Amino acid sequence: MTAAELATGAVMLVGLVAAPLLPGMIQRQKAYLQGRVGASIWQPYRDLRRLWHKRVVQPSGTTVIYLVAPAASAAALLAAILIVPAAANAPQFGVGHDALVVVGVLALARGLLALSAWDTTSSFGLMSAGRDLAFAVAGELLLALVLLTAVLPVGSTDLGAMWLGASGSGIWSHPAHWCGLVGMVLILLVETGRQPIDNPDTHLELTMVHEGPLLEYAGRDLAYLQWSAAARHWVVMLLAAGLFLPHPSGTVAGLAAVLGWVVALTVLLALIETMTAKMRLLRVPHLIGATGLLALGGVASWILGAAL
Amino acid sequence: MIGLLAVLGVIVLAGGALLPLARVPLAVAIWVQGVGVGIVGIAGAIAFFGDRVAGSGFRAGVHPGFGIDPTSGFFLIVIAVTAVPVLVYSVGYIPGVGSARIVASLGGAFLLALIGVVCARDALSFLACWELMTILPAACILIARPELEVRRAIVEYLAITHLGGTGVWIAVLVLAERGVWGGASLSAQGSGVVALVGIAALVGFGSKAGLVPLHMWLPRTHPVAPSPLSALMSGVMVKVALYGLIRIVFTWMDPAPTWLGIAVMVVGAVSAFGGILGALVQRELKRLLAYSTIENVGIVAMALGASIVLGAAGAHTWAAIAFAAALLHVLNHAVIKAVLFLSAGSIERATGEHRVDRLGGLLGRMPWTGAAFGVGILAIAGIPLLNGFASEWLILESVIHAVGSSGHAAAAVSALALAVLAATIGLALLCFVKLGGLALLGRPRSDGARNAADVGRTMRAGVVALAGGCLVLGTFPGLVLAPLLRLRSAPMPSGMGVGLWLPGTGGLPTLGLLIVIGLATTVLLGVRGRRSEPAPVWNCGQADEPALAWTSAGFSSSLLLSVRGVLPTERVLTRDAGGGVLTDVRYAQHVPNHFEAQLYQPLQRMALRLAHLARRLQSGSLQAYVAYFVAVLIVLLIFARLVGS
Repeated sequence: MTAAELATGAVMLVGLVAAPLLPGMIQRQKAYLQGRVGASIWQPYRDLRRLWHKRVVQPSGTTVIYLVAPAASAAALLAAILIVPAAANAPQFGVGHDALVVVGVLALARGLLALSAWDTTSSFGLMSAGRDLAFAVAGELLLALVLLTAVLPVGSTDLGAMWLGASGSGIWSHPAHWCGLVGMVLILLVETGRQPIDNPDTHLELTMVHEGPLLEYAGRDLAYLQWSAAARHWVVMLLAAGLFLPHPSGTVAGLAAVLGWVVALTVLLALIETMTAKMRLLRVPHLIGATGLLALGGVASWILGAAL
Repeated sequence: MIGLLAVLGVIVLAGGALLPLARVPLAVAIWVQGVGVGIVGIAGAIAFFGDRVAGSGFRAGVHPGFGIDPTSGFFLIVIAVTAVPVLVYSVGYIPGVGSARIVASLGGAFLLALIGVVCARDALSFLACWELMTILPAACILIARPELEVRRAIVEYLAITHLGGTGVWIAVLVLAERGVWGGASLSAQGSGVVALVGIAALVGFGSKAGLVPLHMWLPRTHPVAPSPLSALMSGVMVKVALYGLIRIVFTWMDPAPTWLGIAVMVVGAVSAFGGILGALVQRELKRLLAYSTIENVGIVAMALGASIVLGAAGAHTWAAIAFAAALLHVLNHAVIKAVLFLSAGSIERATGEHRVDRLGGLLGRMPWTGAAFGVGILAIAGIPLLNGFASEWLILESVIHAVGSSGHAAAAVSALALAVLAATIGLALLCFVKLGGLALLGRPRSDGARNAADVGRTMRAGVVALAGGCLVLGTFPGLVLAPLLRLRSAPMPSGMGVGLWLPGTGGLPTLGLLIVIGLATTVLLGVRGRRSEPAPVWNCGQADEPALAWTSAGFSSSLLLSVRGVLPTERVLTRDAGGGVLTDVRYAQHVPNHFEAQLYQPLQRMALRLAHLARRLQSGSLQAYVAYFVAVLIVLLIFARLVGS
């Protein structure tokens, strides 16, 4: 294994630990933008530590699904982190580097959490889970097309190859890449559950999307789930940075650029959260669908060989 | 060796089909059938994995011939892998069915017909077995349940499959007439013949496979059929119909034209999307599963279309992978659908309920059946680590590569197909999470579900074995994929292993994912920490009443509300008021079936009107019939004279 591969692998493993930093940074920047002091960027770690020392409370009448969902959800996100490479020459962790497998393991986490809501029969959990899965229908459609715009230039769904294909400046002469970028921003909002799609800070059960099933969890179960939510930020931001944002093709410079973009994306999310209100729930699939049409237009432009 | 084994298996199976009519215990007869199918399956496995051929080759003429080649071998495996657990299940299930002995006997004959279609090597045997395959399950259902509603469903099944079946006859007879069964090249016959055969085969085999718009027989027939028969029809019979399409398009029409690939892909996409939307709004368990079969057949058709398109564009590696992906999904879906239909049968037996909203809490009450049903649900929802994901991943990859390496029109259609497929997989997750939650989790929603207990030993064994199959196929898909690639004489990708490492992908190391996710889950569960006393669920302080339980319609309402522009929901609110006092309020909603209202009913009315007209010819008077004979004779003589000169 070369030094460059080691560096890439190290960055990916850092994601396991550094992921909670991302929501912390977004919260801090949002507070700043809103003229508040806000909590430290380390607050998610403090929350995790607090939850780690609390007891698990299991609702009466639940089955093995409730028990397994948080751990399996975190395990799926762990796999996702190991799959998404930080640069082209990522080492193998035994789970491959395929774009569609990432979509699959994210769906695994989502499906298990929705099943846990059925297990508790909590109305709030089910309301949220139903919405989450409904958004995911449009979200997966969009994600497939967005990934397709990044796959077409390299003819492979290998994320390392796609990372390399998106590097340099030549790719920016294709309209498809711009369409993919716009779509990816929306994917980022959907997958991380940020405004205007969802509000991670909400404490009003009726408006929850991602948070609903979490209401019934406590202690370390909840810690797993909160880490999973943070890991989702890491995975999707790394995908956005590696596949759609400009970066050089060299490993070290590329890694630096990608990490820089991840930080920049937290600023973007904080800005969007400050400036927009939450959308009407039923409009969300329409927004995602419309962006899907844009991505489809990008694919069509690629098929026709259009260039800027 | 293979031939002997297959003949032995068929003889044992035929014996098993006759035994119920003799005075032997029914269980013995069904076990014998199981052994027979198992032996045939082993013969198929040797042919498929060992790349061997046995028996007759394809032949022109009317002499019956049967044989096995690797493609037939694969479908024999599909039949056996599904049928053996289904038969084990039947040992416990069939005695509770009406006219059990005849049903068991016809079931064995149905299996023989399925094997016959796959192994037939001449046109006549093929068509004979094909018709038997259509008629035998209908007879089986009618004998088991002679009610009016069932008879209606069967008439519809026979009408659709026979109308569509003319396509099969046209395709097969044209091929026989042109000598293609005997080895003549189809592409040498000119594009007109190719087009005729292609369209006839798509309509004919497609109607039997349940492709939209000739799909309505599936959701009609399955709810009324005995569960083992539903499992065989949904798991195997629709796949054998696809076998016919595959044989014609990939064996004889190779390389098939691009337009046919586009047509197959479009029909597949419409079926997949329409099927899963139909499944989403169903309230009956087995009808929901039938709609999901339409979806999955559509997904297979999309892969076949992608393979045709890729092959026509010269991308042979990915054409072969797309073909293999389709067949892998055929196997996976056969196993998954058999688990689901069999467990659905057990659930109906145990609870007496067939509405999904009336189940609940069955994972605890029926641990074996419930767990198997849960595995089946996760597999068909396309959750990684199980077999449904592996083949759906391959099909997504195939469609993506079809966008990248075919002409403009085919690429554009493939891109749309990719979007549809992604949305379909998302909808399947929503649909089956809902089904799993409603049936298995939470509290029971009816007395039947509350008092349910797990079913007998053989019925449990059948579903558990199939659920195990889902896990094994999900972990080792590479072992099946490699010989499937050989069917299209594609080179084996290096370093395949048990997972799916293919060029142009980042790889799906199923075993690696299983180890990483399994290990991490185990560790995290191990350090889960101290537990408090169980506490009630938080409902804003409200008591947890059954009336507040979440329903099927409630869970999918956010989706249905956001697509109400294309799929409107009809709501009926009834108020009973008397003397200024509101006494009762009832609310009902359902999603109307557009195929039913706008395609089938007008056709039905037209058919009835035609039948009415035709009845006038049947006056009953002898003179009229003599006049008909004379008229026909004169017309024939004129015709002969004209053709002769």
